[in-house]
Amino acid sequence: MELALELKGITKIFGKTIANDHVDLTVKKGTVHSIIGENGAGKSTLMNVICGLYQPDDGELYVYGEKKHFKNPSEASRAGIGMVHQEFMLFSELTVLDNIIMGYEPKKGLMLDSLTARKNIEKICNQYHFNIPLDAYIKDLPVSMLQQIEIVKILFRGVSIIIFDEPTSVLTPQGIEGLFEAIRTLVKNGKTILFITHKLKEVLAISDEITVLKSGKMVGNIKPKDADETILASLMVGRDVLLTANKMEKKLGDIILDVDDLYADDYDGREKLKGASLKIRKGEILGIAGVAGSGQQELVECLFGLKEVKSGKIIYEDKDISKLNCRGHRNLKIGFVPQDRMSEGVNAEGTIWENAIMGYHITSEFGSKFIINKNKVLKFTDNIIKEFNVKTPSAITKIRHLSGGNIQKIVVGREFSQSNHLLIIEDPTRGIDIGAIEFIWKKIEEMAATGTAILLVSHELNEIMEVSDRIMVMYDGKLYDAGMHGEKTESEIGLLMAGGKSE
Amino acid sequence: MSKMKKIINSYKVYSLAKYIFSLVAVALIGSFLIMFQGESPKEALTYLIDGAFGSIRCIGNTLRWITPCIFTGMAASVAFKSGVMNLGIEGQIYFGAYAAALVGFYVTFPRFLHIPICIIIAGFAGMAFALIPALLKLYFNINEMIVTLMLNYIAVLLTEYFTYIVMGISAAGDSLALATPPISDTAKLKILVPKTNASTGFIIAVALVFVVWFIYRNTKVGYELKQVGANRRFAKIGGVNVTKTFLSIFLISGFIAGVCGSVEVQGTYGKFTAGFSNNLGWDGIMIAMIANNNPFSVLLVAFIWGILKAGALHMERMCDVNRLTVLLIQALFVLFVTVDYKKLLEIFRKKGGKV
Repeated sequence: MELALELKGITKIFGKTIANDHVDLTVKKGTVHSIIGENGAGKSTLMNVICGLYQPDDGELYVYGEKKHFKNPSEASRAGIGMVHQEFMLFSELTVLDNIIMGYEPKKGLMLDSLTARKNIEKICNQYHFNIPLDAYIKDLPVSMLQQIEIVKILFRGVSIIIFDEPTSVLTPQGIEGLFEAIRTLVKNGKTILFITHKLKEVLAISDEITVLKSGKMVGNIKPKDADETILASLMVGRDVLLTANKMEKKLGDIILDVDDLYADDYDGREKLKGASLKIRKGEILGIAGVAGSGQQELVECLFGLKEVKSGKIIYEDKDISKLNCRGHRNLKIGFVPQDRMSEGVNAEGTIWENAIMGYHITSEFGSKFIINKNKVLKFTDNIIKEFNVKTPSAITKIRHLSGGNIQKIVVGREFSQSNHLLIIEDPTRGIDIGAIEFIWKKIEEMAATGTAILLVSHELNEIMEVSDRIMVMYDGKLYDAGMHGEKTESEIGLLMAGGKSE
Repeated sequence: MSKMKKIINSYKVYSLAKYIFSLVAVALIGSFLIMFQGESPKEALTYLIDGAFGSIRCIGNTLRWITPCIFTGMAASVAFKSGVMNLGIEGQIYFGAYAAALVGFYVTFPRFLHIPICIIIAGFAGMAFALIPALLKLYFNINEMIVTLMLNYIAVLLTEYFTYIVMGISAAGDSLALATPPISDTAKLKILVPKTNASTGFIIAVALVFVVWFIYRNTKVGYELKQVGANRRFAKIGGVNVTKTFLSIFLISGFIAGVCGSVEVQGTYGKFTAGFSNNLGWDGIMIAMIANNNPFSVLLVAFIWGILKAGALHMERMCDVNRLTVLLIQALFVLFVTVDYKKLLEIFRKKGGKV
């Protein structure tokens, strides 16, 4: 069988870290080849080498048997390699057609030949069964459609090897099935697919061959029929892990938070919350699933006093807290783990102790009204470091020297160590390795067992389904019940996420 | 773990190397500039040092120049550290100085009251002038850099105009000597070194450095100020009232600048002279940038600045090197220190890789 892509001993070094250490990879033409690994295993670096964004420090790259040195992505594109990035690269104020032909516009003399462009695109769409409105504006289209547009954009450039970088993280389960359908059609037409992900179930469903990366090295090459999730997970991490939260039996307390008919706008003045209501009891983990941008961010910001509530009530421990600022929320023992740890969760230039006491620095635990008691602060920080297993030389190390998982452990540790009554947690495991995810899930479970109410908002459906006691789905600014833990299947919840009615 | 320590150490080495490199580069360029003017760099430097330390009077004079450098350096670094770009220190100095001159002349108090009252009112005057850009920023989101920059001109000319009003229009005859009447002796700061202008203002300035250092190091307010400067969103989520902090930082910076003006009047000039400051406010901004907003580094850099200021005059008198050369060297040093060499190296490496 003809080889589409062959890597021999690819090595890429950044400063002192070896991102790729002599990686060999052979991808057969007309197959789906998955590359899996934890965050930081070197997947993205390897893909960026293949598509010309990085130049390797050592090693050789062959495309269809021909040796290549890509100096930039457009050379790779000419050789037939294209990438569908995790973050879509589309201009929201332009039409679909304009976005697809951008940079590769067919010309007639000096004029843009949009008729030919339209004809070519329609041909591609027909061939691969894509159904997209070419004259619609990007900003009016749903996420799953944007991904199709990205794929058509790449096909329009005449690419035959397509790299998908974590393509399923923005999709509902139904959307994922649609994507897989498209991938199968692409393969049938002779295209070669490189599929990057950390979701094992998907890998097993779609791949012809799976390559596992671990700390920059290739540690395994396996066919899906010889593998299952356990085998893949242990290859990725180097020990046996399977991501399941350990649900405990517990008794729920009284209602601690009662949100009723909440309305709020986003920063552009568009209404994003349209009458959201929810109730949480003490000791309960309420998970909120939903496609990104359905109003989760606005809900969380309203609940923590970061955003003005247009109308509706937020009753916490029998008080209306909808007018309070962040300080007010913290005083009432509400903790918050924000989604974006680098821009909201920590001060990257600060030391670990500075970050470990933020929000609680005014409490008497850390000194008198005016003076900070460094000894107490350092002792407290050392406790977090020990209890949350943070890898750091000391409490006075700057946060930016730590890895993402360790930074998240500091943020979670900070909010979990303050005997809060309610914790609002947004995407707590985004971009961190499996070991850290496992740990944080366990901690959330432990907190709930002590009677803390937990509102978990996550874009990983898997996380919601594993960790939550009760699940709600956010769709178009409203919250819908999605049953207790384990009551509904993934596809049932997925249907709700896409706006389908529950019976 | 040791790998991480190595990375952290490499940061320290990097910042030290940066200062040494800047110093060497500036020394080379400075030498060239002096040779260009037909003098030997070594000789010019000797005259400069001689002018700064040659006699007790010289040392007194150097202290006199160090004093405002510390004040303005602190005014700038306090603001910058919390992310407030107060470039209006120059204007705030003028208002402080003017207020001190008026209180010093018109009001009579016993000495132990008169001096602090003058200083505090001057501080409030500087603060009041800083309130304008602060409010514009908070309520209309107008960039404080531009407002403070423009207000500097207004401050210089407005205080000049006020001086006309106080002195009557007849004083307009000689605009260069336009000044308020001398302040009363009870408002004058004690002179530290006889026959020079080195006053107790120096002690106030050094005390200020220690107070600010203590606040940042040991207090909860200082902790909040630092966090607001580093990541405003983070601080807000942590429950810090960011708006209040922003406003108070602006006002404190203005207060320090106002005090600087009053010390100039009460310690050196004894009256308010129109256009007296000669860019003291800008010196402060340069000092804060070199010192990376660290209080003790500000103290150190202010010393160097004062020595250069005092010595430059002597150097110019003794040899043919223009005093402005020193100014040029100071500015170049700021430029060299503020360059992000890591990024620069990366760009060169990338270009090298491509070619």
